[in-house]
Amino acid sequence: MTTPIEDREARKGTQPPYFFPGYVSTQKRAPLKPLILLPQNSSSLFSPVFGHDSVRPADADLTRQHAGEPLGERIVVSGKVIDEDGYPVRGALIELWQANAAGRYRHQLDDHAAPLDPNFTGCGRLLTDDQGAYRFVSVKPGAYPWRNHENAWRPAHIHFSLFGAGILSRLVTQMYFPGDPLFPFDPIFNSIPDENARKRLIARFDLKTTQPEYALGYQFDIVLRGAKSTPMETVHP
Amino acid sequence: MKLIATASQTVGPFFSIGLAHLHQDSAKLNSADAQTITGTVVDGDGQPIPDCVLEFWASSSFARVPTSATGEYSVILEARTGMYEVLLFMRGLLKPVYTRVYLSEAAKAKDEAISKLVPTDRVHTLIAQPGNAAKQFVWNVKMQGENETVFFDY
Repeated sequence: MTTPIEDREARKGTQPPYFFPGYVSTQKRAPLKPLILLPQNSSSLFSPVFGHDSVRPADADLTRQHAGEPLGERIVVSGKVIDEDGYPVRGALIELWQANAAGRYRHQLDDHAAPLDPNFTGCGRLLTDDQGAYRFVSVKPGAYPWRNHENAWRPAHIHFSLFGAGILSRLVTQMYFPGDPLFPFDPIFNSIPDENARKRLIARFDLKTTQPEYALGYQFDIVLRGAKSTPMETVHP
Repeated sequence: MKLIATASQTVGPFFSIGLAHLHQDSAKLNSADAQTITGTVVDGDGQPIPDCVLEFWASSSFARVPTSATGEYSVILEARTGMYEVLLFMRGLLKPVYTRVYLSEAAKAKDEAISKLVPTDRVHTLIAQPGNAAKQFVWNVKMQGENETVFFDY
Protein backbone atom coordinates (compact mmCIF):
# COMPACT_ATOMS: atom_id res chain seq x y z
CA MET A 1 0.00 0.00 0.00
CA THR A 2 1.33 3.37 -0.97
CA THR A 3 1.10 6.20 1.51
CA PRO A 4 -2.02 8.24 0.74
CA ILE A 5 -1.59 11.73 -0.65
CA GLU A 6 -3.09 13.46 2.41
CA ASP A 7 -0.47 11.87 4.67
CA ARG A 8 2.30 13.05 2.41
CA GLU A 9 0.85 16.58 2.60
CA ALA A 10 0.67 16.46 6.41
CA ARG A 11 4.28 15.36 6.56
CA LYS A 12 5.45 18.07 4.19
CA GLY A 13 8.35 20.03 5.62
CA THR A 14 8.57 17.88 8.74
CA GLN A 15 11.63 15.97 7.51
CA PRO A 16 14.87 17.48 6.19
CA PRO A 17 15.68 17.22 2.47
CA TYR A 18 18.71 15.29 1.27
CA PHE A 19 20.30 18.26 -0.50
CA PHE A 20 20.77 21.19 1.87
CA PRO A 21 23.76 23.25 0.67
CA GLY A 22 24.17 25.11 3.98
CA TYR A 23 25.23 21.77 5.43
CA VAL A 24 28.23 21.45 3.14
CA SER A 25 28.63 17.67 3.39
CA THR A 26 25.24 17.16 1.71
CA GLN A 27 26.50 18.76 -1.51
CA LYS A 28 28.37 15.69 -2.80
CA ARG A 29 26.51 13.01 -0.85
CA ALA A 30 22.81 13.79 -1.33
CA PRO A 31 21.11 11.83 -4.11
CA LEU A 32 20.10 14.21 -6.91
CA LYS A 33 17.98 11.94 -9.09
CA PRO A 34 14.31 11.57 -8.17
CA LEU A 35 13.53 8.89 -5.59
CA ILE A 36 11.41 6.00 -6.84
CA LEU A 37 8.24 5.49 -4.85
CA LEU A 38 7.73 1.80 -4.08
CA PRO A 39 4.63 0.10 -2.70
CA GLN A 40 4.88 -0.98 0.95
CA ASN A 41 4.32 -4.65 0.22
CA SER A 42 7.72 -6.25 0.66
CA SER A 43 8.02 -8.62 3.60
CA SER A 44 11.53 -7.37 4.15
CA LEU A 45 10.13 -4.00 5.25
CA PHE A 46 9.35 -5.70 8.56
CA SER A 47 12.22 -6.63 10.73
CA PRO A 48 13.35 -9.46 12.90
CA VAL A 49 14.12 -8.49 16.49
CA PHE A 50 17.82 -8.24 17.16
CA GLY A 51 20.31 -6.74 19.55
CA HIS A 52 18.00 -7.02 22.55
CA ASP A 53 19.84 -9.81 24.30
CA SER A 54 22.98 -7.74 24.71
CA VAL A 55 21.31 -4.74 26.41
CA ARG A 56 22.03 -4.61 30.15
CA PRO A 57 20.26 -2.29 32.62
CA ALA A 58 23.60 -0.60 33.36
CA ASP A 59 23.83 0.52 29.73
CA ALA A 60 21.17 3.16 30.49
CA ASP A 61 23.39 5.02 32.95
CA LEU A 62 26.23 6.74 31.12
CA THR A 63 27.62 8.11 34.40
CA ARG A 64 28.47 4.68 35.84
CA GLN A 65 30.54 3.01 33.15
CA HIS A 66 33.93 3.79 34.68
CA ALA A 67 35.72 3.81 38.04
CA GLY A 68 34.73 7.42 38.75
CA GLU A 69 31.92 9.74 37.78
CA PRO A 70 32.18 11.96 34.69
CA LEU A 71 32.40 15.73 35.07
CA GLY A 72 29.46 17.83 33.98
CA GLU A 73 25.85 18.61 34.74
CA ARG A 74 24.08 15.32 35.50
CA ILE A 75 20.82 14.80 33.57
CA VAL A 76 17.96 12.32 33.47
CA VAL A 77 16.18 12.04 30.12
CA SER A 78 12.89 10.18 29.86
CA GLY A 79 10.04 9.97 27.41
CA LYS A 80 7.81 7.74 25.35
CA VAL A 81 8.27 6.16 21.96
CA ILE A 82 4.95 6.01 20.14
CA ASP A 83 3.81 5.45 16.58
CA GLU A 84 1.87 7.88 14.40
CA ASP A 85 -1.43 6.59 15.77
CA GLY A 86 -0.28 7.24 19.32
CA TYR A 87 0.30 3.60 20.29
CA PRO A 88 3.36 2.80 22.40
CA VAL A 89 6.27 1.11 20.65
CA ARG A 90 7.23 -1.62 23.09
CA GLY A 91 10.65 -3.19 23.32
CA ALA A 92 12.18 -0.71 20.89
CA LEU A 93 15.98 -0.72 20.90
CA ILE A 94 17.40 2.78 21.49
CA GLU A 95 21.10 3.46 20.94
CA LEU A 96 22.60 6.74 22.19
CA TRP A 97 25.88 8.54 21.73
CA GLN A 98 27.10 11.98 22.68
CA ALA A 99 30.06 14.28 23.37
CA ASN A 100 31.24 14.74 26.95
CA ALA A 101 30.52 17.86 29.02
CA ALA A 102 33.46 19.66 27.37
CA GLY A 103 32.13 19.01 23.86
CA ARG A 104 34.55 16.23 22.92
CA TYR A 105 33.66 12.82 21.51
CA ARG A 106 35.62 9.74 22.47
CA HIS A 107 36.50 9.07 18.83
CA GLN A 108 39.88 9.02 17.14
CA LEU A 109 38.80 11.49 14.47
CA ASP A 110 37.51 14.13 16.90
CA ASP A 111 40.41 16.58 17.18
CA HIS A 112 38.57 19.36 19.03
CA ALA A 113 40.99 20.83 21.59
CA ALA A 114 38.78 20.05 24.57
CA PRO A 115 39.64 17.42 27.19
CA LEU A 116 38.52 13.82 27.07
CA ASP A 117 36.97 12.60 30.30
CA PRO A 118 38.47 9.29 31.48
CA ASN A 119 35.15 8.55 33.18
CA PHE A 120 32.92 9.07 30.15
CA THR A 121 32.46 7.01 26.99
CA GLY A 122 29.22 8.60 25.81
CA CYS A 123 27.49 5.40 24.70
CA GLY A 124 24.13 4.15 25.97
CA ARG A 125 21.67 1.42 25.01
CA LEU A 126 18.20 0.64 26.30
CA LEU A 127 14.82 -0.86 25.47
CA THR A 128 11.42 0.79 25.83
CA ASP A 129 9.09 -0.83 28.37
CA ASP A 130 5.50 -2.04 27.91
CA GLN A 131 4.22 1.55 27.82
CA GLY A 132 6.86 2.58 25.28
CA ALA A 133 8.66 4.54 28.00
CA TYR A 134 12.40 4.93 28.35
CA ARG A 135 14.77 6.64 30.77
CA PHE A 136 18.51 7.16 30.94
CA VAL A 137 21.06 9.07 33.01
CA SER A 138 23.97 11.00 31.53
CA VAL A 139 25.73 14.36 31.66
CA LYS A 140 24.75 17.29 29.48
CA PRO A 141 26.97 17.30 26.40
CA GLY A 142 28.90 20.44 25.53
CA ALA A 143 28.60 22.43 22.31
CA TYR A 144 31.52 21.93 19.95
CA PRO A 145 33.02 23.57 16.86
CA TRP A 146 32.97 21.99 13.41
CA ARG A 147 34.37 23.12 10.09
CA ASN A 148 31.18 23.55 8.09
CA HIS A 149 31.56 27.33 7.85
CA GLU A 150 33.34 30.20 9.58
CA ASN A 151 32.99 29.94 13.38
CA ALA A 152 30.56 27.03 13.16
CA TRP A 153 29.37 25.40 16.41
CA ARG A 154 26.89 22.59 16.94
CA PRO A 155 24.24 23.15 19.62
CA ALA A 156 24.49 20.61 22.45
CA HIS A 157 22.78 17.38 21.40
CA ILE A 158 22.46 13.66 22.07
CA HIS A 159 22.31 11.26 19.11
CA PHE A 160 19.43 8.75 19.15
CA SER A 161 19.05 5.65 16.99
CA LEU A 162 15.74 3.75 17.18
CA PHE A 163 14.36 0.52 15.76
CA GLY A 164 10.60 0.07 15.46
CA ALA A 165 8.58 -2.40 13.43
CA GLY A 166 10.74 -2.32 10.32
CA ILE A 167 12.82 -0.20 7.98
CA LEU A 168 10.21 2.54 7.62
CA SER A 169 10.18 3.04 11.38
CA ARG A 170 13.95 3.27 11.53
CA LEU A 171 14.99 6.65 12.95
CA VAL A 172 18.29 8.34 13.64
CA THR A 173 17.92 11.80 15.13
CA GLN A 174 19.37 14.27 17.62
CA MET A 175 17.83 15.60 20.83
CA TYR A 176 18.57 19.21 21.66
CA PHE A 177 18.30 21.23 24.89
CA PRO A 178 15.92 24.16 25.49
CA GLY A 179 17.21 27.69 25.11
CA ASP A 180 20.37 26.87 23.20
CA PRO A 181 21.73 30.12 21.70
CA LEU A 182 23.23 28.20 18.76
CA PHE A 183 19.92 27.14 17.17
CA PRO A 184 19.68 30.05 14.69
CA PHE A 185 23.16 29.29 13.32
CA ASP A 186 23.03 25.50 12.95
CA PRO A 187 22.31 24.23 9.42
CA ILE A 188 21.67 20.67 10.61
CA PHE A 189 18.89 21.76 13.00
CA ASN A 190 17.54 24.27 10.47
CA SER A 191 17.49 21.77 7.61
CA ILE A 192 14.00 20.81 8.83
CA PRO A 193 11.69 23.34 7.12
CA ASP A 194 8.76 23.08 9.55
CA GLU A 195 9.28 25.12 12.72
CA ASN A 196 7.12 22.85 14.88
CA ALA A 197 8.97 19.79 13.65
CA ARG A 198 12.24 21.48 14.67
CA LYS A 199 10.84 22.35 18.09
CA ARG A 200 9.86 18.72 18.65
CA LEU A 201 13.57 17.85 18.62
CA ILE A 202 14.12 20.06 21.67
CA ALA A 203 13.68 18.25 24.97
CA ARG A 204 11.46 19.89 27.58
CA PHE A 205 12.90 20.69 31.00
CA ASP A 206 10.69 18.94 33.55
CA LEU A 207 10.79 19.48 37.29
CA LYS A 208 8.98 16.18 37.93
CA THR A 209 11.68 14.26 36.09
CA THR A 210 14.33 16.26 37.93
CA GLN A 211 15.75 14.28 40.84
CA PRO A 212 16.30 16.36 43.98
CA GLU A 213 19.96 16.72 44.93
CA TYR A 214 20.94 14.61 41.92
CA ALA A 215 20.11 15.51 38.31
CA LEU A 216 18.11 17.86 36.07
CA GLY A 217 15.26 16.16 34.25
CA TYR A 218 14.24 16.40 30.59
CA GLN A 219 11.31 14.91 28.69
CA PHE A 220 11.70 13.86 25.07
CA ASP A 221 8.96 11.93 23.26
CA ILE A 222 9.62 10.28 19.91
CA VAL A 223 7.13 9.37 17.18
CA LEU A 224 8.12 6.57 14.81
CA ARG A 225 6.63 6.21 11.39
CA GLY A 226 4.59 3.04 10.95
CA ALA A 227 4.93 0.67 8.01
CA LYS A 228 1.39 1.56 7.07
CA SER A 229 0.84 5.02 8.37
CA THR A 230 -2.96 5.23 8.19
CA PRO A 231 -5.41 3.11 10.15
CA MET A 232 -6.78 0.25 8.08
CA GLU A 233 -10.38 0.74 7.04
CA THR A 234 -12.55 -1.80 8.73
CA VAL A 235 -14.51 -3.82 6.22
CA HIS A 236 -17.94 -4.75 7.48
CA PRO A 237 -19.57 -7.76 5.88
CA MET B 1 -2.42 9.05 11.26
CA LYS B 2 -2.74 11.45 14.19
CA LEU B 3 0.86 12.35 14.86
CA ILE B 4 3.78 13.40 12.73
CA ALA B 5 6.93 11.28 12.88
CA THR B 6 9.93 12.81 14.63
CA ALA B 7 12.34 14.50 12.22
CA SER B 8 15.51 12.73 11.18
CA GLN B 9 18.98 14.21 11.72
CA THR B 10 22.35 13.08 10.44
CA VAL B 11 24.16 10.18 12.08
CA GLY B 12 27.29 12.38 11.95
CA PRO B 13 30.90 11.23 11.77
CA PHE B 14 31.18 9.66 15.24
CA PHE B 15 28.36 7.10 15.12
CA SER B 16 30.63 4.19 15.96
CA ILE B 17 30.57 5.29 19.63
CA GLY B 18 26.91 4.36 19.83
CA LEU B 19 26.37 1.88 17.02
CA ALA B 20 29.42 -0.38 17.17
CA HIS B 21 27.69 -2.88 19.47
CA LEU B 22 25.59 -4.03 16.56
CA HIS B 23 28.30 -3.96 13.92
CA GLN B 24 28.58 -7.42 12.47
CA ASP B 25 30.75 -9.93 14.23
CA SER B 26 31.54 -12.04 11.18
CA ALA B 27 33.33 -14.68 13.23
CA LYS B 28 29.97 -15.83 14.52
CA LEU B 29 28.63 -16.84 11.11
CA ASN B 30 29.16 -20.28 9.69
CA SER B 31 30.64 -19.68 6.25
CA ALA B 32 28.87 -22.71 4.75
CA ASP B 33 25.54 -20.94 5.17
CA ALA B 34 26.76 -17.50 4.28
CA GLN B 35 27.13 -15.25 1.28
CA THR B 36 29.41 -12.22 1.23
CA ILE B 37 28.83 -8.83 -0.36
CA THR B 38 31.69 -6.36 -0.64
CA GLY B 39 31.86 -2.95 -2.24
CA THR B 40 32.76 0.71 -2.04
CA VAL B 41 30.54 3.68 -1.26
CA VAL B 42 31.49 6.83 -3.19
CA ASP B 43 30.24 10.42 -3.39
CA GLY B 44 29.32 12.54 -6.41
CA ASP B 45 33.00 13.07 -7.26
CA GLY B 46 33.74 9.35 -7.02
CA GLN B 47 35.58 9.88 -3.71
CA PRO B 48 35.26 7.00 -1.22
CA ILE B 49 33.11 7.68 1.83
CA PRO B 50 34.88 6.49 4.98
CA ASP B 51 32.18 7.41 7.49
CA CYS B 52 29.17 5.48 6.23
CA VAL B 53 27.23 2.74 7.96
CA LEU B 54 25.16 0.27 5.91
CA GLU B 55 22.27 -1.84 7.17
CA PHE B 56 21.14 -4.95 5.26
CA TRP B 57 17.60 -6.03 6.06
CA ALA B 58 15.73 -9.17 5.07
CA SER B 59 12.61 -10.67 6.62
CA SER B 60 14.67 -12.96 8.82
CA SER B 61 18.01 -11.23 9.14
CA PHE B 62 19.76 -7.97 9.83
CA ALA B 63 23.40 -6.95 9.51
CA ARG B 64 25.11 -3.60 10.06
CA VAL B 65 28.62 -2.73 8.85
CA PRO B 66 30.60 0.53 8.66
CA THR B 67 32.83 1.48 5.74
CA SER B 68 36.62 1.50 6.16
CA ALA B 69 38.97 4.46 5.77
CA THR B 70 38.91 3.69 2.02
CA GLY B 71 35.13 3.58 1.79
CA GLU B 72 34.91 -0.20 1.55
CA TYR B 73 32.52 -2.51 3.34
CA SER B 74 32.14 -6.25 3.61
CA VAL B 75 29.06 -7.98 4.96
CA ILE B 76 28.27 -11.65 5.52
CA LEU B 77 24.63 -12.62 5.13
CA GLU B 78 22.68 -15.83 5.37
CA ALA B 79 22.44 -17.49 1.98
CA ARG B 80 18.68 -17.93 1.78
CA THR B 81 17.81 -14.53 0.40
CA GLY B 82 18.32 -13.07 -3.07
CA MET B 83 17.45 -9.48 -2.14
CA TYR B 84 18.15 -7.16 0.77
CA GLU B 85 16.69 -3.81 1.65
CA VAL B 86 19.68 -1.55 2.33
CA LEU B 87 19.78 1.63 4.39
CA LEU B 88 22.82 3.92 4.35
CA PHE B 89 23.58 6.52 6.99
CA MET B 90 26.50 8.95 6.89
CA ARG B 91 27.69 12.46 7.67
CA GLY B 92 26.09 14.57 4.95
CA LEU B 93 22.85 12.57 4.90
CA LEU B 94 20.18 14.27 6.99
CA LYS B 95 18.05 11.12 6.67
CA PRO B 96 18.95 7.61 5.50
CA VAL B 97 18.77 6.56 1.87
CA TYR B 98 16.82 3.40 1.06
CA THR B 99 17.99 1.12 -1.70
CA ARG B 100 18.06 -2.61 -2.53
CA VAL B 101 20.61 -5.10 -3.65
CA TYR B 102 19.58 -8.07 -5.80
CA LEU B 103 22.09 -10.90 -5.96
CA SER B 104 21.13 -11.95 -9.50
CA GLU B 105 19.16 -10.85 -12.56
CA ALA B 106 16.72 -13.63 -11.74
CA ALA B 107 16.07 -12.29 -8.25
CA LYS B 108 15.45 -8.84 -9.69
CA ALA B 109 13.18 -10.18 -12.44
CA LYS B 110 10.88 -11.70 -9.80
CA ASP B 111 10.17 -8.23 -8.49
CA GLU B 112 7.57 -6.75 -10.79
CA ALA B 113 7.54 -3.34 -9.12
CA ILE B 114 11.23 -2.87 -9.95
CA SER B 115 10.78 -3.71 -13.64
CA LYS B 116 7.77 -1.42 -13.81
CA LEU B 117 9.06 1.57 -11.83
CA VAL B 118 12.84 1.75 -12.23
CA PRO B 119 14.13 3.19 -15.54
CA THR B 120 15.85 0.42 -17.50
CA ASP B 121 19.11 2.36 -17.80
CA ARG B 122 19.38 2.65 -13.99
CA VAL B 123 18.30 -0.79 -12.81
CA HIS B 124 21.86 -2.18 -13.06
CA THR B 125 22.78 -0.14 -9.97
CA LEU B 126 20.64 -2.50 -7.89
CA ILE B 127 22.23 -5.76 -9.05
CA ALA B 128 25.36 -7.19 -7.44
CA GLN B 129 28.03 -8.73 -9.65
CA PRO B 130 29.48 -12.20 -8.96
CA GLY B 131 32.76 -12.04 -7.05
CA ASN B 132 35.86 -14.22 -7.21
CA ALA B 133 34.32 -17.25 -5.54
CA ALA B 134 30.95 -18.89 -5.08
CA LYS B 135 28.57 -16.97 -2.82
CA GLN B 136 30.67 -13.81 -3.15
CA PHE B 137 29.23 -10.67 -4.65
CA VAL B 138 30.36 -7.13 -5.38
CA TRP B 139 27.99 -4.19 -5.08
CA ASN B 140 29.10 -0.56 -5.10
CA VAL B 141 27.02 2.45 -4.12
CA LYS B 142 27.29 5.83 -5.86
CA MET B 143 25.52 8.57 -3.93
CA GLN B 144 25.00 11.01 -6.80
CA GLY B 145 25.83 11.90 -10.40
CA GLU B 146 26.50 9.55 -13.29
CA ASN B 147 25.48 5.98 -12.42
CA GLU B 148 23.84 7.23 -9.24
CA THR B 149 22.41 4.27 -7.33
CA VAL B 150 18.62 4.04 -7.41
CA PHE B 151 17.16 5.20 -4.10
CA PHE B 152 13.61 4.56 -2.99
CA ASP B 153 10.84 6.23 -1.07
CA TYR B 154 7.97 4.37 0.56
